[in-house]
Amino acid sequence: MLSRVASSLYWMSRYIERSDGILRMLKINYASSQDTVQKFTWEPVVRIFAGVPDEDVEVLEHDSRAVLKYMVLDRENPNSILNIITQARENARSVQEHIPKDLWQCLNEYYHAVRDPKLNYWLEKDDPITALDILIKQGMLYYGTVEITMERGEARSYMNIGHALERSIQSVDILDTKFGSIDDNPDLLTDTTYWKHLLLSLGGYEIYLKTYRSKGFEAENVLEQVIFNTEFPRSVIYSVKHIEIYFERLKSESNMDEFRELSFLIGRLQSSIRYSSVKTIYEEGLHEYLTNIRSELFKIGNKLNEHYFAFQ
Amino acid sequence: MQESAYFKNYNPTPGTWDEMYGSDSKIRDHYQKVIQYLNRESIDDLNKKEDLAKRLFMSQGITFTVYNSGEGIEKIFPFDIIPRIITGDEWTFVEKGIKQRLHVLNLFLKDVYSNQFIIKDGIVPIDIIYSCPHFLREMCNVEVPYDIYVHIAGIDLIRDFDGTFYVLEDNLRTPSGVSYMLENREITKRLFPDLLPQCGVRSVTEYPNILYKNLLSLSPRQIPHPVIVLLSPGIYNSAYFEHTTLARLMGVELVEGRDLVVNNSKVYMKTTTGLQQVDVIYRRVDDEFLDPLEFNPSSILGISGIMGAYRKGNVAIVNAVGNGVADDKAIYSYVPDMIRYYLNEEPILKNVPTFQLGNPEEKEYVFANINKMVVKRTNGSGGYGMLMGHAASEAETEEYKAEILKNPRDFIAQPTISLSAAPCYMQGLLTPRRIDLRPYALCGPDGIEIVPGGLTRVALREGSLVVNSSQGGGSKDTWVLL
Repeated sequence: MLSRVASSLYWMSRYIERSDGILRMLKINYASSQDTVQKFTWEPVVRIFAGVPDEDVEVLEHDSRAVLKYMVLDRENPNSILNIITQARENARSVQEHIPKDLWQCLNEYYHAVRDPKLNYWLEKDDPITALDILIKQGMLYYGTVEITMERGEARSYMNIGHALERSIQSVDILDTKFGSIDDNPDLLTDTTYWKHLLLSLGGYEIYLKTYRSKGFEAENVLEQVIFNTEFPRSVIYSVKHIEIYFERLKSESNMDEFRELSFLIGRLQSSIRYSSVKTIYEEGLHEYLTNIRSELFKIGNKLNEHYFAFQ
Repeated sequence: MQESAYFKNYNPTPGTWDEMYGSDSKIRDHYQKVIQYLNRESIDDLNKKEDLAKRLFMSQGITFTVYNSGEGIEKIFPFDIIPRIITGDEWTFVEKGIKQRLHVLNLFLKDVYSNQFIIKDGIVPIDIIYSCPHFLREMCNVEVPYDIYVHIAGIDLIRDFDGTFYVLEDNLRTPSGVSYMLENREITKRLFPDLLPQCGVRSVTEYPNILYKNLLSLSPRQIPHPVIVLLSPGIYNSAYFEHTTLARLMGVELVEGRDLVVNNSKVYMKTTTGLQQVDVIYRRVDDEFLDPLEFNPSSILGISGIMGAYRKGNVAIVNAVGNGVADDKAIYSYVPDMIRYYLNEEPILKNVPTFQLGNPEEKEYVFANINKMVVKRTNGSGGYGMLMGHAASEAETEEYKAEILKNPRDFIAQPTISLSAAPCYMQGLLTPRRIDLRPYALCGPDGIEIVPGGLTRVALREGSLVVNSSQGGGSKDTWVLL
């Protein structure tokens, strides 16, 4: 497979995963902003996904409509859904002969959906959940189409690696930000709606209820689920495991040295997560632990780029 | 039948061949079934079909991007839902004519890049060859597989007032539009269920298979699975959709210049598992940009050293490099003589009479009759830089004349041919609009094959004779009947 093609597939997949994460986050946060007597803050969302400077965070933080517009439709925000989907589609466009026609059409429709003027109206004046749901559904159509039509070969491995890498980075970022907020506001630690919303935005609410039914909403349990639960598709361990599975499929005679180097990095990260627990994390310091995982994930991304996608 | 709502304003243009109406104002036989079908549909139904066509083009990304104030706007090429219909007899004639012409053009290219008998025998003047910017000395005495230079030709045909076919242009470099032939047909299947088989419309779907078979036969390495690639300038090219469609339909890799590298006179592509040798390149990059070492040194679309690999026969390039000398508008007028010279046959398809402005007498004549002429640049394309004598103002004409005098060799003139007209669906009515026809001919070691169909381009503006998409043209599905 051409290096350029592998790179485009990988990025297409990362962008879609990112848009899915952002949209779910926005939907849950908007819903919870309607369900609170206190002043609702968008600060964590804006920090995780938009990387805006502090003074702008203050402007945005309490204005739901402004945040939604900024995160979904703002052309100046490189991580707005509009820009991300445009990027995903540009990547898909350059590899159309490597993905099924259905998948290309699906992305193409997503792209036209995000440019529909009605979205702006819903986000600004009417029910924003309508707009977010339309976009979330487009993302689900993408995943379904991939599942049904995509050839199980090298191309899909690169897509799955991109998807798992993006997802694990998101989960780490969300944990880091959400737990970081507790340092400023210790009351949150016992605020059950705070944890409930965190789980909802990761799609992990039901699985939490089943696992920890009798224990209520506790920070430690949330942490355990989001890092260690191998059956929770947004847990860090689940995503890292999938990076490993799909990377192993890329093994080939012609580039054994590069393969081994990356395989080592992935295996080491996986082990370091597997051989830790909520207890050891707290001993080490949660922020340090998450920072380390994040930097290992970035390293894997960079090495992929260097050994598999570098074609300049 | 003529009372039908759609026909209220259908007035065939006088002095024009109407594809649907015969001289006795009767609908020609081969249009009957379609018209009967349309008569059963309401205006509302047809409007819905038009909407469906637009939606299908949009959702499939059959679009081109117009960059305006930094933001890309997706546009679709206008598509008219009423098919253009060609009878079996008309097609047999056209097919024979194109085969003859393409055969000769290949012989001419071989000759002009080797022995140049046609120049020595005084059939084509030497200065017209050597002054042609597309004549590439880099190609002299280069061996190409099976002596085929033109593997894919998109020869443009038009019909004069009496229905006679004329060749307007031989496109022998990187003719485009074939994906629209294929997609228009797919859309029409959705718009008019069951109508195609009822009418006996011949299929065009074999095109990518024939092309693939021909590409495969050109591989310099005799190996079970030669590597064939389609070289595209990239996603910003207006024909990018076509490149991806063809690559997908043939199952070949779509590459850009940056994906390829030349080492030791062999061409390789950069893959995730190292370099892989490439055998055949179907390129959609112009000669000028193909190799920065030999042609335009600032090209980033090409591959350094690819011409070296080509000359050594380590890679096949389709179409061959340097074909522009055979479809140059000044050389065009010699094609009938070439047919007589190489084959000792009379040309089947007529040329439009062409005046060389490089020749002082012909220039005098053209200047005296300029309002009946179309003047074109010999190296122009896409309908740019033309003067339509009958429509231009006096000031425009004078300005253009001054331009001609700077370098008369760069211009030719042809009498205005009034293209034939076909019905188009516009705001609830059928209205005649001018059309041309571009069939796609494929030349391989087993001979020349033409899928029965082509691209019908249509001048959507009323009275316009220019069908180019850059000048307000659209397209139609093209039916060839059994």
